[in-house]
Amino acid sequence: MTFEALKQKKRMKVKLRGSASLILLLGTLAIFLLANVLSPYGPNDIGVGDHFAPPSGAHLFGTDNLGRDLLSRILFGGRITVLIALGATSIALILGSAWGILAGIRGGWIDEFLMRTADALMAVPLILFALFCISALGSSVASLILVAGILLSPSTARMARSAVKAELASPYVVSAVASGFSKVRLVWNEVMVNIAPQLLVQISINAASAVMLEATLSFVGFGLQPPNASLGTLILQGYAQIYNSIWFVLFPVITVMMTILVFNNYGEQLRLSLDSKRSSS
Amino acid sequence: MTKFILRRAASSAIVLVLSVVTVFLSIRILPGDPVLLKFGAQTGATPAALDALRESAGLNHPMLVQLMIWLGGVVRGDFGTSFISQLPVSELVGQRIPATLELTFFIVVIASILSVLLVLIAIRKPGSATDRFIGYVTSIGFSTPSFIIGIILVYIFALRWHVLPSQGFKSIDLGIVQNLKLMILPAFTGAMVVSPYLIKYLRTSILETRTSSYIRTAKGKGLSSSAVLIRHILPNSIVPTLTMLGMIVGFALGGVFVIEYMFAVPGIGSLAIESASARDYSVLQGVSVVVIALFIITTFVFDMICGFVDPRQRVLQVKS
Repeated sequence: MTFEALKQKKRMKVKLRGSASLILLLGTLAIFLLANVLSPYGPNDIGVGDHFAPPSGAHLFGTDNLGRDLLSRILFGGRITVLIALGATSIALILGSAWGILAGIRGGWIDEFLMRTADALMAVPLILFALFCISALGSSVASLILVAGILLSPSTARMARSAVKAELASPYVVSAVASGFSKVRLVWNEVMVNIAPQLLVQISINAASAVMLEATLSFVGFGLQPPNASLGTLILQGYAQIYNSIWFVLFPVITVMMTILVFNNYGEQLRLSLDSKRSSS
Repeated sequence: MTKFILRRAASSAIVLVLSVVTVFLSIRILPGDPVLLKFGAQTGATPAALDALRESAGLNHPMLVQLMIWLGGVVRGDFGTSFISQLPVSELVGQRIPATLELTFFIVVIASILSVLLVLIAIRKPGSATDRFIGYVTSIGFSTPSFIIGIILVYIFALRWHVLPSQGFKSIDLGIVQNLKLMILPAFTGAMVVSPYLIKYLRTSILETRTSSYIRTAKGKGLSSSAVLIRHILPNSIVPTLTMLGMIVGFALGGVFVIEYMFAVPGIGSLAIESASARDYSVLQGVSVVVIALFIITTFVFDMICGFVDPRQRVLQVKS
């Protein structure tokens, strides 16, 4: 096999893995977003089965302490968690890239100030800041989205800034600026398109972090009010009953981990395919 | 060296001040009147009484004045008093620090041992099945929230095997055996949260050192592998190791919040969560300042040591 053929094969492999991770991601999103179609029972219907029933044909994931169907609760909880993640990711994307791109374009003391602020925010443990905001705003889907979105912005800003800086140094931008094009226009029309893939990597990492943050905040008691539940709330409830039933905590735990892994995996594969494109060109 | 120290100190100080001010402002900007929260629901709370309370808490001044008064207190170690228990915040935080420091210490020790061992096993044959397996476990570790690791450990060791208590804390004064027994699960949970970052970092930096040209030269001129290790690899590994230790301390401090809460360890992390649910903002403020300061000081100290042992670091960091 020639060197070219080997390289070709490797590129195919990266492509294949990338598609697989995308399908997994879309599949996971579809399952949660179609919760109302897929759920066999209502998520808050009490007594559709025995208390703490183990998995069976009627209740694939078993039932909880009030005899609610765990599969249905997980599907609906997952929908809330995924919506929170998507909302938070959008906020982080808009806020963070505006922040980073501004710093990258202007440079000088504006850059220094914006990035020092990002550093300061990142010096505070995420969970500490989240505690602040949630205790003031109260826990609702909207406040969880807002808090997670704001918390994920500084790291997004760092990433956007370095991507913009690298792009601004590339020959086509330098020559365009030299021939009199406006830098801001260039960034808006050209640079944004070129850094979009890198932003997409950051988006999927952010989504994974948002799921983790939501689960963590819900686990320490800042989640949704019952009977509504996100995945984190379900873990909290299941953990409180761990002496009665292992299934009640096991299935939400597995679901949260799978969701985070799927998001992280997509980001990782995307990054790998970007790297392989860059090295092959 | 002086320029390096000054520059790093200045930038640490700026980050510290910025984050402390952010902590203060975020509480004032967010909606919710602490006085109303505490006394609004009580019967017989007249508007005049509420105003008096605001006055005594200093909440009637303009925000900038409040900020200055509060910062002045913080510098002197006075973080105000708790809205709920009326105790000085510094006292509340002070009581909780030993447990957090003990837990952080154990997390750092266990995580270091665990990661170094796993990395040494993994890099014996890079790309082998063992290496790949450790890689997979590490990437699953990245995706696992701390409390899930905690739940798994509690299930195995407390519920199935009944060898360890599922939660609680006893001070060392009450007997070291009891203290350690209760520390094992939270410490291992924390260590398993921190280790994936360490393993990834260590593996890359060791592989980089091994394939660098000066190692090839040293081998090529006929040095034995132990001499290469002692004279060339180890000295060049000091800086990455120190950086790594700084990283672990940082991660451990950030990770102890939920771990302390779920294992009922009375540290500053669980204090933060408790005061957040009670909306005791003055305590939350105090805890935040202490945690942020610990964070920044740790980073600064490790930067200093790195700059001291490796002159290249000084230039690099000043330039960037």
